Order: sequence, then structure tokens, then C-alpha cells
Amino acid sequence: MNKPNKPFEKKTNGLKRERASSDALFFGKRSFSGPFSGRELAGYAVDRLLLAVILGSVCLFVLYPLLCIAFRSFNGKDGTFTLANYGETWAQYGTSLWNSIFVGVLSAFFCTIFSVSAALVVSTRRGWMKLLCMGILLVTMVSPPFVASLAYIQLYGRRGWITHGLLGLSWNPYNKWGVILMQSVSFVPMNALFLNGILAKIDGDSIKAARDLGASPASILRDIVLPQMKPGILVCLLLSFIRSLADYGTPVIIGGRFSTIASDIYYQLTGYANLEKASVLNMFLLLPSIGAFFLYRRLLRQSDALVQSSRGKQEQLQLRLGKCGLLGGLIGLASGLFFVMMILQYACIFSTGFIKVSKTGNRFTLQYLRQLLKTDLNTMGRSVLYALIVSLVGTLFAMIFSYYMERRKVPLRQGFDCLVTLPYMLPGTCFGIGYILAFNHPPLKLTGTALIVLANMLFKQLPTCTKICSATLKQVPLAQERAVHDLGGGQMAVLRDVILPGLRPAFLSCFSYNFSSSMTTAGAILFLIDPARKLAVFKLFDAVYTGDYAVASLIATLIILIVLAVEALVYWITGKAAKPRVS
Amino acid sequence: MYLELQHLSKNFEGKTVVKDLSLSLAEGELLCILGSSGCGKTTTLNMIGGFLRPSSGKILLDGQDITAMPPERRPVTTVFQSYGLFPHMTVLQNVMYGLKFQKMKRTQAREKAMHYLELVNLSEYANAGIYEISGGQQQRVALARALVVEPRLCLLDEPFCNLDAALRVKMREGLKEIQRKLNMTMVFVTHDQEEALNLADKIAIMEQGVLTQYDSPMNIYRRPANDFVREFLNLDELVWSDEGALLKVIKK
Repeated sequence: MNKPNKPFEKKTNGLKRERASSDALFFGKRSFSGPFSGRELAGYAVDRLLLAVILGSVCLFVLYPLLCIAFRSFNGKDGTFTLANYGETWAQYGTSLWNSIFVGVLSAFFCTIFSVSAALVVSTRRGWMKLLCMGILLVTMVSPPFVASLAYIQLYGRRGWITHGLLGLSWNPYNKWGVILMQSVSFVPMNALFLNGILAKIDGDSIKAARDLGASPASILRDIVLPQMKPGILVCLLLSFIRSLADYGTPVIIGGRFSTIASDIYYQLTGYANLEKASVLNMFLLLPSIGAFFLYRRLLRQSDALVQSSRGKQEQLQLRLGKCGLLGGLIGLASGLFFVMMILQYACIFSTGFIKVSKTGNRFTLQYLRQLLKTDLNTMGRSVLYALIVSLVGTLFAMIFSYYMERRKVPLRQGFDCLVTLPYMLPGTCFGIGYILAFNHPPLKLTGTALIVLANMLFKQLPTCTKICSATLKQVPLAQERAVHDLGGGQMAVLRDVILPGLRPAFLSCFSYNFSSSMTTAGAILFLIDPARKLAVFKLFDAVYTGDYAVASLIATLIILIVLAVEALVYWITGKAAKPRVS
Repeated sequence: MYLELQHLSKNFEGKTVVKDLSLSLAEGELLCILGSSGCGKTTTLNMIGGFLRPSSGKILLDGQDITAMPPERRPVTTVFQSYGLFPHMTVLQNVMYGLKFQKMKRTQAREKAMHYLELVNLSEYANAGIYEISGGQQQRVALARALVVEPRLCLLDEPFCNLDAALRVKMREGLKEIQRKLNMTMVFVTHDQEEALNLADKIAIMEQGVLTQYDSPMNIYRRPANDFVREFLNLDELVWSDEGALLKVIKK
């Protein structure tokens, strides 16, 4: 239903732009007398200034904090260069490093199996099953962190509904296997949606051709579908491994005595505040992350080359998993396990907030909700406010940045592009401690302010936003830009009349991405936040950590509902905007 | 006859896309299904290829009823409009793929695939990736891949529509030559009457799901069945003599 509308939209857009250009022709004074008019000079100055501000803030908020970590890790007691910090930290935290790698490898492995299975099921199923699976993935995408751990304790813990209540077990759930399980499950949604995008681009005719040549469904899966997913699968492995390395919440909450580098950093920063040691620990995370980042970019290029140039029409993946033999069975089993676990997890979270546990049995209560609404409403309000600010400013920033990157000759273009994308792979702890080290003294003393939190969110989310904007900008014909120049408009006119209107579809998707991420990421923010200005995610972590599960569940539920509501609103606006406005 | 379509019909959600279509084709002949878009020609091809089950009617190939046979077991191959090449394989691997399911040994399969690549003049590109070769070359890879398994019938779904006009003429000649050399029975779908006229032994003209006329090109040009055919082929431009020779073309 959407498609027939599109040409219409293009047409109206085109008309509007045409009018804009003719406006410029009639009203824009074109001076033939002097080399530059005052207005042209001003436009030129604004253009240069804008570029300088954009590139400058990227350096200040991405590059500088990372350099601070590196310098601090080599910093001796008297301010000299030393490797002593590394020796000490290695001796003290060597086991944690191995733990991190162990957990990272296993989590990445299991997570990728779950992700591939879930993606295959979602793209080959039709009807209500597909809707249900997509719905579950979307809810998990907009869920705050720590909910998996919360549900884990509630379901499988010492007094867990399943382990204790159903099976009568009494066991200690706080160990590395719990961490591995929860990480494997909680990284799935993003991976699965990413793989789903790849699967949607596989040429339907290549599947038909394989069938035509005599391939059974199992051969098609093995020979055609999985090989085309290969770069994507490697990306999943890599991303899951890095996320596992960076994840401190899960080991802190359910790791028990088991510690990883990330959880050690958490304790260092919140407890002992030894910034040298914390810097070294972060270097242990930073270096593999940066390495992974370059590998990631290469793999993405490979994946794009493989599936994007397919000429066929994109249609539903025609493959019956049920007929794919043993492999198909395993995929069905893994995805079934995953989706059942997710349903249990969310059923648990949504209900925990409304159930009062007592000796005589469980009963429904609104006591916790009332308590939450009385005490924590302003925290939630602040979270929403911050998210809105980041969404607006971040989206605008991404639009302008992608314009300069795509359309203008910027010095060190490759370098800046790389720098902006880097935070995507950076562990939250690194980004957090980098900000603490960079901005805790004059002239840029930002610690304790809201600004540092907002900047951190903005730059952490910038990579995805610039990617969306660049992709959209590639669709805006260069000729429109030339037309503006041709008719006497300057650089600012191009930005105002061509680039920003052309980026309108990107605005909404960036906005909703920014909003949901700002509401749900914990990463670095836990270390940057001022105790007097708490955010909902922070409260959630506190509540889980102190065992206040009912309140934690309610906060999580509230966050999910708010984000879903905003996404629905954006979706509605997008749908409205797509309709042709012809009277 | 070698290929027989008997009273084929196909309905999608209550809409009849192909209606009571019957025709037959001798071995080694090339049939062109000609019609404007939405006339049901691709649906017909998909039913012969096994990707769509006819709502009613039968398809016989060499006397055998293949109506219910799934595409993987049907001795029929298709050259798809978008080629459907496997992007993660080389040219040679693409061509060899179908032989895997005939339980052929690898070395033997490689030899046979190379032979067919020579047939389409691509042997020097055997180890190239799919995106390293041009559109016309991709089209020939798809053709070699479909022919190497020695199908009893080969289907082509507007195979030249992604190529430019000059290349189209060249590819057309190449296809006809290969078809004659292998004595391959082919069904070719197109909306380009020039293509149909040049390639076909038989032309089937379809209009809104109905077979309007089925005959040799010459007979169709001389005796169009109705006004639709006459208009579709611009036959009003031709003036015939009483003996059946073309006298004049009047461009309108």
C-alpha cells in the first residue's frame, strides 16, 4: 500500500524544491558587480564555522577522551611515563582477563546460534508466527539493560519461580554460566534484526534457481542461504564478543564471585577510584574493540557486496525450515528455545511489579506502583527530557555531519568518518572513564553536569545516525544541489533547501533510534551521572542490585511502554508524511 | 507432442490470471510466449517450471504428467529474468552447482561445466566472481547453468530485458545458435515482438490470461486472429500481395 504513494511524494517534493529554487531566482539578489556580496561572505563564514564546530566536537568528545585513557594508563606517580601500571594490573586482574575472554567467546558463540536461528525463523515464517516473533524482537530491542538479569534471578534464582517454585530446586544461580546464558540471550535481538535485513536482500531468484537445478531445501539452506549470510554471521560473532567484553551489568548482578574486566572496572570506578588501574583495565578492552571495529567495517563491506548488488526483486525468503533436515530441526529448536525464554522473561518482568509475595501466597497489588509514582516520577521525567534533547540535537548533528562527509571535500574525510563510527564498538566503561578523565578539570569541567551525560549519549549514538543519514543523502540527486548554485544560492541555501528537506525521512528514524537508545542504554552513563540528577536506567540498576525486584520491574515496564509509545507516534507521523498531500 | 499444456488455469485469490490455456510443442522447437505485462505469460512459465501449481489442467512432457512434480525433480530448468546467480560462488561454481544433484564426480562435473562455458564463450571467466563480469556475461552464465544439467525443457523469462538494444540482438543470435546445436526445446517469454519474430518457431500471443493466437510467426503475421493481435504487432503497417508476399511497409 505504501509503494504507489511514493512517486507522489517525490513529485510534491520535487515541486516544492523547484519552487524553492525559483524563489531564489526571483528574490535572491545575485550580484554581478563585485566578486562577493556581503551575504555571500556571511554564508561562507557560517559554512566554515559549522564545519569547524562539527569536526571540533568530534575530536573533543570522541578522540580526546580515548587519548586520555591511553595517557593515564602510562602515567606514573610523579607524572612520568611508566609501564608499572600494566604490570600491577596484570598481576591483580589476570584471571579476570581470561574470564572475560572465556565468557566472551562462549556468549558470542551461543548468541550467534540463537540469532541466526531467530532471523531464519522470522524471515521464512508468515502470518501470526512472524508477527509474534517480530513483536518479541522489537520489545526486547527497546528494553532497558539488566532486565534479563532481573528475570533470571526471578525465574531461575534461589527462590526462582521455575527452579524453586516449579522444580523444587535450591541452587546457587550466581555463577559464570548464568552470565553466559543471559548475555547470549540479551544480545540476540539486535543481531537477529541485522541478519534479518541481510536475509531480506537475498535474491529470491537465486533460491528458485537452486530448486530448479535439483537442490533440496536442506541444500538450499547449506549452499545458498548460509554462505550469503556468512559475513553477517561473522559480524554477529564479533559484535557479541565485544558486547560481552563490555558488559559489566550482568556479571555484577548475577556473576557472584565471578568477575570479568568490565565488572572489575565497575568496582574500580565506584569503589576504589584508582583511575590509573581503571585506565589500564580499559586499555585491555579498548585495544580489542578498536581491532574488532576495523574488522567489522571490512566484514560489512563484504556483506554489502554479496547481497546488495543482487538484482532480483526482494520477496519473502522461500524456504521451508521444517524440510531442511537435521540443520533445519536444530534451527527450529534453538529459535523455539529463545522465543520461549523471551516470553517467560517478559511475562515475569511485567508481572513482578504487581505481585506481592507472602507466606500465604502471591496476590495482586498496586502498592509498588503507587510507591514508584510517588517517589520516582521526576526521575522518569528527566530521562524523557534528556532523551528528547539528545534525539533532537543528535539527529541534527548527524544530518549536518553526513552532509559534509557525503557532499563536501573535508580534510581527513576518511579519518573523521572512522572516528565518528568508533564509539559504536566502544565499551561503555571506556567511553565513560574517558569522559571522566577528559572533563574533570578546568577549562572543561563538565563532570557532575547534565551536559557530560548528554554529550556521551549523543556521541555513542552518532554512528548509527550518521549511517542512516548518509544512506538517505545518497538518494538526493546531486543535480538539485547544483541547481541551487546555478540559480544563485550559496552553501547555506543548499543546506536549507535541498539537504535538510531531503533528509526528512532520515530524521524520523534517527529520532526514534536516538530516543529509545537514550532511554535504555546504561553503558557509560552510570559513571557520569550526578547522584542528585538520577536517570531511570540508573534507578533500575540500583533496584536490581539491592534486590528491589518489584520496583525494578515497574521501572523497566514503564521505560518499555514510554519508548514503544514514542516509536508508535513516530511511526504514525511517518505514515502521515508519506501520504500524498493533494487536495 | 513433446510438451503439452492441457486446459491450464490459474486463479489468485479469486482472480483468474491464466484461463484455459492449451498448446503443444514439438521437440527441439522454440516457443515464444508474447504479450504485454500482466497478460499471464510469466505465470504460465512458472507453472511449467513447477513454481506455481495450476488451479486446473495438466502439463505433459514427453508423455509424462509433470503437473504435480516439484521444481527440484522436474527435468525443466529456468533462466530467470534477474538471472538468480549465486553471488558467493564463481562463474564455474555457479555452472557446476546443478551437477552436484546428479551425483556426478567433481572432476567430471568441472569438465562438463567448462564445456558449457565454452559453448557460451565464457571459458576465460571461469574463476571470476559474479560481480566482476558484465550483465551480458551474467546472462550467459545463467544460460550455461540452466543447460549444463541437460534438461528436457529450458524456460527463459525475459532473459534479455536487462541488456541494452545492441547487446540484445547479439545475445539473441547466440541463443538461437545454441538452441539449434543442442536441439533444445525452449519456452521463451517476452514482450518484445521483434525478439519473438527472430527466435521463435511458434509464437503464442496472450491477452489477459487467454491464449489469443498460437501459430508459426509467418502465419500470425499473415493471418492475425483478431484486432488485438493486429494492433499489438502493428500489422496495419504491412501490405501483402495476393500471393502472400510482403509488398510494402507503411510507417504510420
